[in-house]
Amino acid sequence: MNVDELELALRALRGVVAVGFTEADGIFIVELQAGDETYDELARDATVLAARHATGPVAVELVRWGDGEPPQRETRLRLVELTTDPAAGELTVRLARGDEEAVGRASTTGGLPAAVEATVYAVRAFLADLTYLPGWARTVETTPDRRFLVMASITDPIARTHLRGAAEGATPIEGAVRATLAALNRTISREL
Amino acid sequence: MAGQLESLVDAARTGSGLGTVYRALDELVELYALEDAAVVVDVPGFGRQVLHAGRRPLHDDEHRWHAAEPGLYLQPPLEDPVLAGLMQALSALGFRYDATTSGRAGEPANP
Repeated sequence: MNVDELELALRALRGVVAVGFTEADGIFIVELQAGDETYDELARDATVLAARHATGPVAVELVRWGDGEPPQRETRLRLVELTTDPAAGELTVRLARGDEEAVGRASTTGGLPAAVEATVYAVRAFLADLTYLPGWARTVETTPDRRFLVMASITDPIARTHLRGAAEGATPIEGAVRATLAALNRTISREL
Repeated sequence: MAGQLESLVDAARTGSGLGTVYRALDELVELYALEDAAVVVDVPGFGRQVLHAGRRPLHDDEHRWHAAEPGLYLQPPLEDPVLAGLMQALSALGFRYDATTSGRAGEPANP
């Protein structure tokens, strides 16, 4: 794959202001940052280009910015607390939407994906119709200052779509919770 | 330092335009032990473009480089107008060179 050619082609798409690449678990991830002059089918066009250039599995993440402002006006869920109870073998994630809070729990026997599971359950307390199911989570990098970069994936089995997010945390579990929120927040913010 | 310059010059001689810009950014990061670096440039046919060291994703773009004016952005900041101008010039040339060699010169942005 010629990354330069792919990057140039992506940057030629209307509204694209930045292109970045990373890789996790054999998946080549393309991230686009788009300004307010972009168009609705940008994600589709970028995915077509990426798939044409990539030699293996590829995922495209699109970050849209409107009028030079981040999409922060949309409601987002935030992590309030993350606790583990080794005796009970349980992981608890507490999320907030404004002043409202909700809790999701999962068994720690599932390992790191339990963080994704507990987060999705907590999100479902705000959005009962959430179609995404917990997928996987993996630590992709440990920084020299002992921060953990984690990638998480969730799946809509009906639409057959996958969302992936990446985030840092002080522990792999915290990274997985934040990565799950990163994957979901862009999609659910309008429904919150 | 000499080795770094040699590899940058080699990239300019034989590599792509974008590849050379990224090489320059990466070498700046290494030379000055920076945390991060990006160059923002306005390019005809492409508009404002942000090139981030290491070709890394901006994710939530904590520095808001996606909306920054053209310039060289280093973390921690390092004021050097000549360096900033050279990096912008290199970036503009890199885009123009790659667009020309790929046949995209003058091609309007999609759709």
